Parts: sequence; C-alpha cells; structure tokens
Amino acid sequence: METMEESNLHLAQPESIEGSKDKDFSKISLRPLDLSDIDHFMVWVSDEKVSRFCIWDPYTDKEEGINFIKNVVRRHPWYRAICLNNRPIGSISVTPNSGKYRCKGELGYALGSKYWGKGIMTRAVKLVAGSIFTEWPHLERLDALVDVENVGSQRVLEKAGFTREGVLSKYIVLKGRTRDMVMFSLLSTDHQT
Amino acid sequence: MEEISHLQSAQSKAIKSGDDEELAEISLRPLDLSDIDDFMVWASDEKVARFCTWDPYTSKEEGMNFIKNVVIPHPWFRAICLNNRPIGSISVLAFSGTNRCRGELGYALGSKYWGKGIATQAVKLVVGSIFREWPHLERLEALVVVENIGSQRVLEKAGFTREGVLRKYVVLKGRTRDIVMFSLLSTDQVSISTTSLHL
Repeated sequence: METMEESNLHLAQPESIEGSKDKDFSKISLRPLDLSDIDHFMVWVSDEKVSRFCIWDPYTDKEEGINFIKNVVRRHPWYRAICLNNRPIGSISVTPNSGKYRCKGELGYALGSKYWGKGIMTRAVKLVAGSIFTEWPHLERLDALVDVENVGSQRVLEKAGFTREGVLSKYIVLKGRTRDMVMFSLLSTDHQT
Repeated sequence: MEEISHLQSAQSKAIKSGDDEELAEISLRPLDLSDIDDFMVWASDEKVARFCTWDPYTSKEEGMNFIKNVVIPHPWFRAICLNNRPIGSISVLAFSGTNRCRGELGYALGSKYWGKGIATQAVKLVVGSIFREWPHLERLEALVVVENIGSQRVLEKAGFTREGVLRKYVVLKGRTRDIVMFSLLSTDQVSISTTSLHL
C-alpha cells in the first residue's frame, strides 16, 4: 500500500448544500482525522445504525477509538474526516490495491446517523471523486461494494454518478453471515456532475 | 492451505457417440515436476497465455520454478488430463478473513484441445468436488476478460451465472481490462453428467 505524506494537507473545498434553508449544512469539507478528533469520532463509531452493514461492531470505549486512529487511520493511504463546519461527523477513505489490481481503489465511508438523508454523504463522495484521480494518476477505477439491503448507501453512489455493475452473490462474510453485495464503480474517464 | 496427502482424482468418461470416435477420459490429478514436458506445451503457447497475466514460458527452468514455487504449495491445483496425460491445468484460489466464503477458479488448456468441451468438463469436475472438500466455501467465482468469448462459453455451459462486467478491473500485460464476473454457489444445482467428447 502506498503511504501519503501527511505534510500534504488534502483539503477539499467546502461546497454548499442546495435546498438547505433552515439548517446550515453549507460547509461540508474533508480533512485528515487525528487523535484530537476522538470525541467526535466516537459519536459515529459507537452508533449501531452506522455499523449495521460494516464489518466492525459499534465501539464501546474511547480506547478502541484511540487505537483505531493510531493503528489504522494514521497509516492509511487515504483517509479523511467528513466535516460539517469543520467538525467531524463521519469518515471516507480510498484503499488502493497492488499488482494486477493497482488500477483500482475501493471507496468506503460512514456518517453519523443524525446526518443521514440530507445529501451530505453524496457531497463527500463527489469531493473524493473530484480529487482522487488527480492525486493518484495511475488510478482508473474507484469502486464500492454495498450490501444489497443497504439501499441508502446505494442511493448515495447512484446520485454521485457511479455505475451499478451487478450483484455479487454470497461475496463476503459480514458479522458471521454471507452477504450479497452490489458492485458500483466510477472510472477516471466518466464525466462527473 | 490443505495438505494434499492423497491423490484427489476426479474422473469422467465420455460416451462413445459414433463408430469412428474413441472413448476419451478427462480426469484431474495433482501436477508434479515429472509432468514438466507436458506442462511446457500449454505454458509456452501464446494462444493460451493471451488473456492470462503471464507471458508464454520460454525455458524449462521457468516451468520447473513455477511447479516448485506455485503449483506444489498451492491450496488446490490440478492437471487436466486426457487419458492420464496433462493437457492443461485448473485451480481454485482460497481467500481469508471477510472473503473466506469465496474461491477463485482459474484454468488453462492447450490450444489444440480447444472447442471440444474439455475445459467445460474439467470445470464441472471441480464444481462437483470443491464444495465438499472446502465446506466453508459458498461461492466459486471466475473473472474473464471481455474479449475472451471462448472462456465465457465454458463457464456458461458449466452452469455459472454471469453477474456483470467490471470495468477497468485488472491490468493485464500493461493494459487495463474490463472483465466479466461469473459465479457458482454451493447451493446452485449443477449436473455433472457425462458429455460426449468428439476427438
């Protein structure tokens, strides 16, 4: 896996959320996540609604969260906090592959459940799509695997311009059960809105 | 990885469908260094290598290294044999962790044996035994380059489901390729009926 120099702060420009007049969801941005964000981080990682379709179980103590940030987030080649008015409310990441699969990267994300249904995740995905192919010129494909029952997340990717390529039956084991997954992809050559 | 302590041989026999045609026996067995000359026939064939990640082998040394370093330690690798002589290979790769429910099928067959249903029969033989040998396996999948129509036909005839095209999924010989994803589940009904092979 490639490591990104942390000295390059990859800040994506804040974008305004259309149609949000009564609530101020106007500044969604991406930035690196670190230990000082631990309290915000614990909000979504301890939420069972968030972890429902993830391989991990809800976190129960701050120690777990601190270890994750130290051992996984800090070493990750591309991991960002999704921020609302500069406060972390979720995370988004791109995991690269190597060898014959080096042309593709896998997208993953999580958002605090109180922020669902407002277009925030779609905005975050679009921000990633808008920068990852420039940052990683060898990358030709960004893909995402979504549980067949996770309709909300499928909507996010569709709205963000991803192509639904098909259902892969009994593709992975999630919390002890084999799951069917929908494969989505976005190519560097796809036109983005 | 499993110890191959006994010969895992699967056999099928062809039905004689005409007076002129010979009975042919397609079977699977482990491949070893003693098979090197037969191995080199398909490993050095550029028609066979065309849609594979590897380039045609040019020396026996290459072939021996492959058998030593890849074939022998492999969790499931078999020679496809015609009347007990290796004419190709077929293998299943195991995954771990969250991916442990699936295995990836791969195969190669000497080009002079193409178009006779041999690869289809070999795939059916694997399907008939892999889910019993690996009870944790629920899905057998295969990734085929979109231009490789012949191999797509093999999997369709063997009862695999075509799940979709994954665009720019793999780099093959320096170029990014679209692939077709096929799968067969342990719960899918597949008949391992004998087929007539016209040779």
